[in-house]
Amino acid sequence: MAANNAPTELDKEQIFGMAEKEMEYRVELFNKLTSTCFNKCIDKRYKETELNMGENSCIDRCVSKYWQVTNLIGQLLGSNRPPM
Amino acid sequence: MASTSGTESTETPISSLSSKEAEKPQIEPLRLPTIEEIRGQDIWNNCAVRSVVSGVLGGGLGFFMGLFFGALDNPLTNPLVQEEMTAKQQFIYTAKQMGKRSISSAKTFALMGLIFSAAECVVEKARAKHDMTNTVVAGCATGGSLSAKGGPKAACVGCAGFATFSVLIEKFLDRHN
Repeated sequence: MAANNAPTELDKEQIFGMAEKEMEYRVELFNKLTSTCFNKCIDKRYKETELNMGENSCIDRCVSKYWQVTNLIGQLLGSNRPPM
Repeated sequence: MASTSGTESTETPISSLSSKEAEKPQIEPLRLPTIEEIRGQDIWNNCAVRSVVSGVLGGGLGFFMGLFFGALDNPLTNPLVQEEMTAKQQFIYTAKQMGKRSISSAKTFALMGLIFSAAECVVEKARAKHDMTNTVVAGCATGGSLSAKGGPKAACVGCAGFATFSVLIEKFLDRHN
């Protein structure tokens, strides 16, 4: 309780480390999301430069589902239940 | 760029690139689309906008086609008509016939374009795939609805015919791949 006035060096390092880990996690999530939805939805023959409507709606659905899956798994992991 | 004298092997490519850029075609840097560009492209994702624009274009095409074909095969061989009218009256009569034909043709083509575009847009959005199946279903819907007045058999024939026609046109437009 004596060190509550100012954050100690250890606290600062811990917070910084956590923020860095969080940032890495977010970047990894974004890269995986982009890669997965691109491989699933886009036809590799590249007939035109613009996204057509089928691809657009596929990407919308892919991102939505991926996000839901991420949240669900995060909740399952974070609920601290005993392993089955 | 080459501030430090350490790694020269990584610095020289950059300096040599700037001298070579004059010879090679300029490669533009990667530019992600701005939010205005995305919104502008998003207008084309709206099924209603697409089908209305298609309908208008079809109407214009039908109008000019009707004018052209009306001018070509206008039967002025009706003997009764030719006796009574002067040249000017014949001209006005021909112009009226051409106008009527072109307006009816414009309406048909506008309806065709509207239904085809709306059907293809809805099917493609639902399937989330860009395929030839979308064209077939849209062609069948258009042909069937345009020939629906002749009964179910005429609707089937119209469906099959227009679907085949659409697939052929689509393959022709894609021939460069």
